[in-house]
Amino acid sequence: MSRRLPETNPSARPNRYRFSKYKKPLVLLTMAAPTAIWLLLLRYLPMGGIVLAFKDYKVNPRNPSFISNLINSKWVGLNNFKFLFMTDDAKIMFRNTLAYNIVFIILGIVIPVAFAIMLNEVTKKFVAKAYQTMMFFPYFLSWVVVSYFLNAFIDGQYGMITAMQRAAGGDVTNWYTTMGPWPYIIVFANLWKNVGYTTVLYLSAITGIDSTQYEAAAIDGASKWQQIWYVTIPNLRTMICILFIMNVGKIFNADFGLFYSVPMNSGALYPVTQVIDTYVYRAFMVTGDIAKSSAAGLLQNVLGFICILTANGIVKKIDADSSMF
Amino acid sequence: MAVKGKKKNLRLNSVSPGAEAVIYVILGLFALCCIIPFVFVIIISFSAESSIRSIGYSFIPQAWSTDAFRYAFRKLPQIWRSYFNSIFITVVGTALSTFMCALYAYVLYRPDFKFRGFFNFFSFFTMIFGGGLVPTYIVCKQVLGLNENYAALIVPLLVNPFNIIIMRTFFKSSVPLELIEAATIDGSGEYNTLFRVVAPIAKPGVATIALLNALVFWNDWYLSLLYIQRNKVLQPLQALLMELQNNVEYLSRMSGQMGAAAINEAAKMPTQSLRMVLVVLIVVPIACAYPFFQRYIVAGLSVGSVKG
Amino acid sequence: MKKILAMLLALVMVLGLAACGGGGDANQTSDANKPAENTPDTSGGNKQDDVPAASDLDPVTLRIWFHGSNVSPEASNKVMESVNAYLQDKINVTLEPIWGTWGDFDTATVTALAGGDDVDIYFTCNWSANEYNKYARDGYWVKLDDMLPTYGAELLTTIPEGIWECAKTNGYDGVGVYAVPALKDTATQNCWDLNATLLAELGYDVDAFIASASMNPDFYYSDEFEEALQKAKDYKGGDFYPLVGEPVVFERIATGTAIITGDLNGAPVLSYYYDVEHPATDIGSKIVCKYATPEFKKFAERTYYLSQKGFISPQTQNVDTANNYREACAKTGDYLISSQSYAFGCELDYSRERGIDVRMIPTDAPYMDATSGQGAMMAISATSKNPERALMFLNLLNTDPELMTLLNYGVEGYTYNKNADGTITFIDDVRATYSPWRNGMGNIRQLPPTAEEGLDYWDRFSAYYDSAEVLPYGSFILDASELSNEATALANVYGQYGFQLMGGATNPDTVLPEFLAKLEEAGIQKLLDAANEQLAAYLAG
Repeated sequence: MSRRLPETNPSARPNRYRFSKYKKPLVLLTMAAPTAIWLLLLRYLPMGGIVLAFKDYKVNPRNPSFISNLINSKWVGLNNFKFLFMTDDAKIMFRNTLAYNIVFIILGIVIPVAFAIMLNEVTKKFVAKAYQTMMFFPYFLSWVVVSYFLNAFIDGQYGMITAMQRAAGGDVTNWYTTMGPWPYIIVFANLWKNVGYTTVLYLSAITGIDSTQYEAAAIDGASKWQQIWYVTIPNLRTMICILFIMNVGKIFNADFGLFYSVPMNSGALYPVTQVIDTYVYRAFMVTGDIAKSSAAGLLQNVLGFICILTANGIVKKIDADSSMF
Repeated sequence: MAVKGKKKNLRLNSVSPGAEAVIYVILGLFALCCIIPFVFVIIISFSAESSIRSIGYSFIPQAWSTDAFRYAFRKLPQIWRSYFNSIFITVVGTALSTFMCALYAYVLYRPDFKFRGFFNFFSFFTMIFGGGLVPTYIVCKQVLGLNENYAALIVPLLVNPFNIIIMRTFFKSSVPLELIEAATIDGSGEYNTLFRVVAPIAKPGVATIALLNALVFWNDWYLSLLYIQRNKVLQPLQALLMELQNNVEYLSRMSGQMGAAAINEAAKMPTQSLRMVLVVLIVVPIACAYPFFQRYIVAGLSVGSVKG
Repeated sequence: MKKILAMLLALVMVLGLAACGGGGDANQTSDANKPAENTPDTSGGNKQDDVPAASDLDPVTLRIWFHGSNVSPEASNKVMESVNAYLQDKINVTLEPIWGTWGDFDTATVTALAGGDDVDIYFTCNWSANEYNKYARDGYWVKLDDMLPTYGAELLTTIPEGIWECAKTNGYDGVGVYAVPALKDTATQNCWDLNATLLAELGYDVDAFIASASMNPDFYYSDEFEEALQKAKDYKGGDFYPLVGEPVVFERIATGTAIITGDLNGAPVLSYYYDVEHPATDIGSKIVCKYATPEFKKFAERTYYLSQKGFISPQTQNVDTANNYREACAKTGDYLISSQSYAFGCELDYSRERGIDVRMIPTDAPYMDATSGQGAMMAISATSKNPERALMFLNLLNTDPELMTLLNYGVEGYTYNKNADGTITFIDDVRATYSPWRNGMGNIRQLPPTAEEGLDYWDRFSAYYDSAEVLPYGSFILDASELSNEATALANVYGQYGFQLMGGATNPDTVLPEFLAKLEEAGIQKLLDAANEQLAAYLAG
């Protein structure tokens, strides 16, 4: 039916929707309602709990409910944030968190985009499908399971690499106390697990590109590389920008399992694996102080929020259509 | 202007055979890298425990055995019920969440919608800020009654602002606004336009979001830990696995302090190959469901296939 | 953008206030029902001297949260049928158990407690996340002292004075008992776990070896120890690691130190030295930094040396794998010497399980302190609407063998069968689906012995644990809650160095000074000062 209606040329598509503001927003409001109500109840209602970060949380035993406890607890200003900056470890964990995330963001755009474009060029469709399915597999697995695999290779007693080293008569590396290789292992593990998933996002975006654009380009005599450069990449621009902005927002949050489970929680590796989230977790395990962990979370979020607004602002300057809001 | 191209014209323009061979090799190597650990898990799950003890994890174990599988099914009478729970939660949750996501994303995609900016920010803000675990727990359990029931395993995961933004991006990049304009002029209602005009075009996007949602529901165990305590027949499969996993970890961590108690308890815990069995039991069903989603995601793959 | 932000903020505030208001109201109403529980002494006094008969009591439902269970839903339903029939008859109570497991207990109970869930009784102790002393201090538990004479009279006499002493803590309502301690394995004794079969194969005289190693603090440092490990390694081949176990326990054995209750949970930084032969003897009660003593340095150097010799597996040196690895080695007998925290009669169980002759070499006399006394407890939640009834239940559970057996072992003919001599035998397949953590439930000395344990098992059990001497610092409990910033930093420093140093993975010559400097920076001195000040006050008062 109406599916076949429009036969317009997308390359000549106007940037702005031309007709005036929609007169009857009611129908659209009903569409937004279910999610909006959900967000209100499950996200905004609990946000009152953010004040926890500024309180010395104590229970009020005469009326021990979270809300009454919260109201009755003393305000302590920024006291709960102090533990993050107490020692020199703070520098290390902030450095690690930021450095790893920057690498993840850059490689997390370049490699999946390249893979998606390459997959798109594979002429044998079943091969493309098989590759793509296989690449998605690591995403099914939790970090704990990933840590088993890695351990199966580098374990100091049972590991396959260790066994090979032994067979060759060489020195056996104790991987879990040797810092050198870990930055690479961590970056690789992260890419390995997430590339397939991000590739799917870009691939779906490529699939959604109107083929008439390629046809037009082909008729104009564009080579394959030119088609990729002038048609595919511009069409992916929005997706790249959105994913970039969202990842920048999480630049102070680390993937806990990657930094905790994969190195098997090994102390000797802290200088290269300690990130904000693992530090807070280890602190929480001994103190059980929920006010401190929520303070840490809030700090990460506020910093992330600032980053996301900055990134969005920059993207907006360059290409208003690709910005998030 | 646009001429409806024929496939054969376009194929002339594909990359050179040499370049394609390079692509095959690069992607093939990476794909292999992704699948090897998986094969490894399956091999370990079929390895005899004695083999793991003597030569460690190996692609070629000394002896094969299905003991761990049999042990799992005997030890966990709950396992079939948990399979059902997981499937039920995943199907219902994926359908609901994808539906809600599409509705909301469509609203955000409409530039003529008066409150677009507000709703956009309304969802985006929650991606960054949250109230934390305990306040959310209280709202869910005490206000919404999400306690010891299936709803507790579905409702808290229904909305993900990330997916909304991705979905909106899909709409933006694949559905021309003129299409909606035309449909509206044709007298198509909003819901009709969304489901009959927009959704079919954005099918790869919708399928991608559905896949992501399905994975979230299938893999979740934390909700079960929080909300399913007395009525444990409702536990999904992943929760069963994590329970075993956490038991092992907990006893490892605490054994120094708990002394004899932990040692005796830890002796009852499952072995390496059993853990791999549980991984296999969890991953295989969702991996089997993957091609279903993939059909839509890769449907229009390679320039040749014309759509829209 | 600014407008949207302002709107949002306003919205959040309104919602937040509404939530607070709503919550407050709800709590006020529940408050109105509460005075009875807040003044248990008066309500206790108003009742008859004796606890009324079941028929006079209102029927109530009690929700109780256990730890470490392995109970399937069907088995639970089946057993609860009998338990509840019995309980209704006795105290008109219906029990709703929550079978917490090792893995989920911490997260789930901490959230439930913070959320004020409707649970009457929680398992608690000094090693779980709902740590007894901290939660008593914060006001989560009901103080029991005033209620005990009325609702727990038998309980008071059943549990020995020494254990009650351990349960005393400085809680929200002053010093007192905030949970019912379990009468279980209440003593600590460290041992070397010896694979006597392998030792004999190496040509040793097992009894002579044990005799010279037993209660010998220098054994770990002796040539004899090293020689045995070396022989085992030569005998079994290159990748055999004869010394397995928990580095944390190695440290306690080799230096003769005890755990301090209230030391950082899972990240020990403090030590208390005691006389290993006569634990009750006062050798100058003092709390020191675990890693700054010459004893520790000597231990760390020795362990590193043994590790370099190839006696300790890398698996033992990682906090995540150490215990699993020890289990795996123990099961197959692939070890010569392992560390063990003794449980009464465990060498017999182990010998049977592992198919080798397992012998224990004690390294100290059994002792008792707050750590062993608070190993498992049941606390009544401040949110409970029926704290008296909850205590009546705990009273019954700890003094009525029939109830304890029912709840702990299940129903006769379903999970176990009685033998003619009075022992029992489990029906293994069913018991596997109904296995609460036996020692976490309370007074387990009331349980019938199993056929393997033998008829006089509990007598021997009681004799052993009752003989334990109390350490000079008694049931001292450290309160480090004022130093939580330091605790967070110390925990991370410990994580980076502590475990691997104790496992011999890192060289103490280079790592130990660095570790000590970091501890200093993280504020160990503050913690030490507070600890010693509190200890002095405790010993004085």
